[in-house]
Parts: sequence; structure tokens; C-alpha cells
Amino acid sequence: MKILVVDDFSTMRRIVRNLLVELGFSNTLIQEADDGENALTMLRNNSFDMVVTDWNMPNMTGIDLLRAIRAEPSLKSMPVLMVTAENNRDQIIAAAQAGVNGYIVKPFTAVTLQEKLSKIFERLAASGANA
Amino acid sequence: MNAQVSLLAGEAMPQELHDLLNSTDGAAFEQALDVLVRQREQRLFRALGLLARDLHDAVRRLGGDLAQEGVPGSVADARKHLQDVLEMSSQAAHRTLDFAERMRPQADQLAAHADAVLGGAAEGDAARVLATQAKSFADEYREGMADFVVAQSWQDLSGQRIKKVVNFIGSVENSLLELVSLTGALASGEAAAGPVKVTSQDEADRLLSEFGF
Repeated sequence: MKILVVDDFSTMRRIVRNLLVELGFSNTLIQEADDGENALTMLRNNSFDMVVTDWNMPNMTGIDLLRAIRAEPSLKSMPVLMVTAENNRDQIIAAAQAGVNGYIVKPFTAVTLQEKLSKIFERLAASGANA
Repeated sequence: MNAQVSLLAGEAMPQELHDLLNSTDGAAFEQALDVLVRQREQRLFRALGLLARDLHDAVRRLGGDLAQEGVPGSVADARKHLQDVLEMSSQAAHRTLDFAERMRPQADQLAAHADAVLGGAAEGDAARVLATQAKSFADEYREGMADFVVAQSWQDLSGQRIKKVVNFIGSVENSLLELVSLTGALASGEAAAGPVKVTSQDEADRLLSEFGF
């Protein structure tokens, strides 16, 4: 499973990477981008299975990245998990309306990340079975 | 009408105004009213002029401070200090993560060795006791390391706030620089103020120009 981790803070990218490895994902299949713009370029040029993104980033924010992904036919079904310090109601609603698959508020624990990831995979498996 | 006015204004009315209102000479009334209004205007413009001079001085001092980068306490320095904090905290968090990443395979190895020993050692063997302890330590260590890694998110959370303050200082700095150049432009525009007007605003304008308007 190829995962793209998007955050402007290298520390947070590394933390998410570590936790994903801890949860059994292959370290070599995890790639990183430091803003939405770079992430979008990487998503267009490579095949990824999931995006884990921050909200607050220069150039292109996480919510804009999410909207861009949903607007692009080749990417629109990509699962997107948002990991952000933004915890106000309006922003969470905006993310939900834009079609986010999961929303984790920082600071978070490994257990929370695992829960949200398994929920995403369960839903994917269910929708895959229905299709 | 006179009776009505004195009822409204009562004792508080200055004598000049009282006389003025009671005057039947139209031209004298106009002239006296003009004098009264002018006196008020002059006080107002003098106060405005003082305010403008204080502002101008304060901005000029600030302009001097801003020009001297590297002086402790200056705006540019404050921003740089915060950026240094951001950089240092990032390095510190990465060093901590280096440690966690280095130790995880060692914990895995310890657990694997313990498993091997447990597979071969007989019940009650001292090696078995030690291996059991080592295995449980390795497991707990791994779990603890995961929390340890997540705990480093303080750098991202505090860093985001620092970035906001850095941006805020930057915008304040820009606004101040604009203010400095604006007041500078106004002060240097004094000489080219154009022909002297002969209207009732004349005195007020001259007074204001003394203070850099």
C-alpha cells in the first residue's frame, strides 16, 4: 500500500511515517510532500493508495488539496485522512462536505490513527464488495 | 425668542454668547459668531497639531530602530529569534526521533532473541526467566517508543503558533515601514504645499503645516 504523507513540518511527517510503520505499513512505500501543490503533482505522476494530510500549509492547504483530489477524475476516489490542529466546527464540516474519509485532531495517539485507518479500510472493503 | 434661549442655555451660557444672541445688529452678529467659531477651531487644530507631532516623532524613532537590524529588541531581530527557536525545536525533535528509530530494531532483536531462548530453555531455567523478562521489556519498550514519537508533535503544534507570530510581526513591520515612509513623504511635501490660501482655513492650514502635515 502506497501512502503519501503531506505536512509542511518535517517533524510531523516523520511522526506519521513512524506510526504507519508501527502499524505495519512498509516504510519504503511511504512518501512525503511538504504542501498541497507538491502533493498534487506527486499524486498525478505516481499511483498512491491513500493520502494523509495536514490542513495548514503554504501554497496549497490540505482542504484545497482535498477539493482538488475530488475534482480530478483519476484521483477522486482516493482515500484522504486529515490530520490537523484545526478543530473548529466549521472546518470539520467543510472537510466533511469536501469528502474527507477521516479527520484526526492533533495531538493524537497511535491508537487514534489506527482506529481511523481501519475505519477507512473497512469502508473501502465494503464499497469494493458492493461494486 | 430671547426668553426661550435663556431658558434653554441658562446660567452656563458665556456672556459674549448671551450678548450676541440678544444683538439686533445682523452684521455684528455674523462677525461675533465668526470670531467664536474661529477660536474653537484654533484650539482643535492646535490639539490636532500636537497629536500629529507626537505621532510623527514616534514613527521617526521607530523608523530609526527598524533601520538598525541586529540591535536587540528591534522588530527584525524579534522575528529572527523566533525563527531560530523554530529551527532549534525542529532539530531537537528530529534528534529525538533519530533515537526512537535507532532503538526500535534493537527492541525487535531483543524480542526475537528472547523468543529463541524461550523455545529452547526448560521450565524453571534461569535463562527462561530472563528471556521472559527481556520479552516483556521489549514489548513495553516498543509501546513506549510509539508514545515517545507521538509526543514529539509538540514541535509541530508549538511551531505553528510561532509561525503565526512570525507572520504577524512581519505584517506589523510592513505596516510600520509604510507609516514611516508615508509620514516622511508628508513631511517632505511641506515645501511644495502650493500657493497660500486666503480663506478662513488659512491659519489652520499654516498651523498644521508646522507639524508636518
